[in-house]
Amino acid sequence: MAQNRWLATGNFFTTYREEQRIFLTHLDRLLFVGLLVGLFVWPLFLEVGNKYMLVIDNILIAMVAILGLNLLTGFAGLISIGHAAFVGVGAYTVASFSRMLGDTHVLLTHAWPLMILLAGGVGAVVGAFVGLPALRLKHLYLAIATLSFQMIFQWTINFMEFFNQGQTISIGRVSWFSGRVARQEHYLFWYYVCLVIVVISGLAVRNLLRTRYGRCLVAVRDNDRAADAMGMHPGFTKVYAFALSGFFAGVAGALHAYLFRGAGFESFTLHQSISYLAMAIVGGLGTLVGSFFGPTAMIMLDLQVENLSEFFKAQFSAALDLATALRPLTFGLVIVLFLMFEPRGIANWWRIVRSYIKLWPFRY
Amino acid sequence: MSYFLQLVASGIVVGSIYALSGLGFVLIYKSSRVLNIAHGQIIAAGAFITYALTVWGGIPIYISFLMSLIITFFLAMSVERVFLRRLIGEPIISVIMVTIGLMSILDGLIYMTPFGAENFSFPEFLPKTPISLGGVSISWTQLVGVIITVILIVGFTWFFKRSTLGISMRAVSDDQMASMSIGISIPKVFGLAWATAGFSAAAAGGIIGNITGLNFDTLRAFGIIVFPVVILGGLDSVFGAVVAGIIMGLIQQFAAGYLDGNWGLSGTADLLPYIILLIILLFKPHGLFGIHEIERV
Repeated sequence: MAQNRWLATGNFFTTYREEQRIFLTHLDRLLFVGLLVGLFVWPLFLEVGNKYMLVIDNILIAMVAILGLNLLTGFAGLISIGHAAFVGVGAYTVASFSRMLGDTHVLLTHAWPLMILLAGGVGAVVGAFVGLPALRLKHLYLAIATLSFQMIFQWTINFMEFFNQGQTISIGRVSWFSGRVARQEHYLFWYYVCLVIVVISGLAVRNLLRTRYGRCLVAVRDNDRAADAMGMHPGFTKVYAFALSGFFAGVAGALHAYLFRGAGFESFTLHQSISYLAMAIVGGLGTLVGSFFGPTAMIMLDLQVENLSEFFKAQFSAALDLATALRPLTFGLVIVLFLMFEPRGIANWWRIVRSYIKLWPFRY
Repeated sequence: MSYFLQLVASGIVVGSIYALSGLGFVLIYKSSRVLNIAHGQIIAAGAFITYALTVWGGIPIYISFLMSLIITFFLAMSVERVFLRRLIGEPIISVIMVTIGLMSILDGLIYMTPFGAENFSFPEFLPKTPISLGGVSISWTQLVGVIITVILIVGFTWFFKRSTLGISMRAVSDDQMASMSIGISIPKVFGLAWATAGFSAAAAGGIIGNITGLNFDTLRAFGIIVFPVVILGGLDSVFGAVVAGIIMGLIQQFAAGYLDGNWGLSGTADLLPYIILLIILLFKPHGLFGIHEIERV
């Protein structure tokens, strides 16, 4: 039977190879390419203020970090309450170069792609090291171990003179082929860099998940003893999940440091770790698209809450500071409501929409 | 020598507060296997309720302290009813995240009150001059705090050993299926565990508030430091929480007294508990008095 490669309905897989295709139909591929082109092209037509460009950059960076967290917590089932510390490791890798060589050294300003990769590498090494307790610990105990890593990281940054005791360490402007990136173009430039990295890492994770190593993660999450019996190595898999997650976090941290042109302690606190977890959960743990939905939803929500409290401030009195109260309140409510009513996150809505489209033009 | 004794004394004071905070944490974990990350916020709420009743309500502090215990008792019980009852049997990450969400909600609610932005301190109701015993001086507030803590811990021990409710709570933590079959209502026990945890948290909050003053960040931090304490003692051991609380208090005081300032170190009191936590997790994950449950992979 000749297959209709445009609509998914009525197609059946006869080989595993077919089932594991990334794009099931030409329509999928077309939409994906369209989305990518749209993402790359829209800044050329639409002028966005620096404030909002910064928010968009933040979302993209959070996506990279959440891809890592989702691999660790969603796919491998290892809860990490210290993801911000991994991101911090990446940022402080870049920052320590700036500290040693000066903030406008050629390595920082010209070889920045190398620095980003290096930050990822350092993140992976630290991740693997922190993941070592996973050989012995499970569930709750592992979560507490990552929490203690977070606290030790905070202490190290705050204590050591080398890290400026938590004060911002500045990093110079980077250069591109056309010369130094100007102040007005800074956020736009990093938008493109982050976007490229998000696309590459998204595709990398998607590909990883259909290889043997990716399926190992899921097998170990679901039942590590069964996985062991089937010849996988659960201990190795867990440490390797930590290393992978550390890599993505490190890349995100380096991007963060470059975007804000400095690394400061307050971006990598326990609170930030919790926000990362919340993003992963709201997006949908254990799904790839969830890593993109979650950060978008949570950061947009945060922006709206800020706008709302600004509005109230303008309307009533300047002394009224609703933002400090409203922020944690909405944050907590969103987490709790999602866990109660949609524990599978926004990705589940996406799945429902997709399954409807898949059957189109038939109802079922 | 007197410096050493002074450190021991203040270590015991801090430690007994840790013990009381850890107690509530262990109560919840023991009965329902929930890691309550919002514990610090409940402690803070207890302290703030005591303050509000005493200063704004004009009620004598002893009575308002008792009232705050009872209010927090019901507060924690309703928290369990609203947020956690639905999640019985859900995966562990959901339960942790719900308490994290709860933590944020309580944060937001507290920021709406004056306590979120300003510092308050309780009116002095005890003599100001510290008592000195052989070169060691302890303030009256600290002494009363330790005494209340000891009374509460003894009370809780009695409650678990002798009373029917306490015994049914222990039964549930031991084997849920078996205790259901002999007619113990599990949801009721979970609610009660949260309620007693709230009770002990409010007591801890009142005592901390009297010793250090009412600062939201200080009070909240007790919810995090409680992790090393309960891991050291064993997550499901009430006795372990008490012992570990005092050990942790002593370690912190010794670190602050002997390590800080030497070899260029500072703030080691904030770091050491977590290093101990990691070491304990690596070598003896069930803590000093916990039940062996860890399986290796």
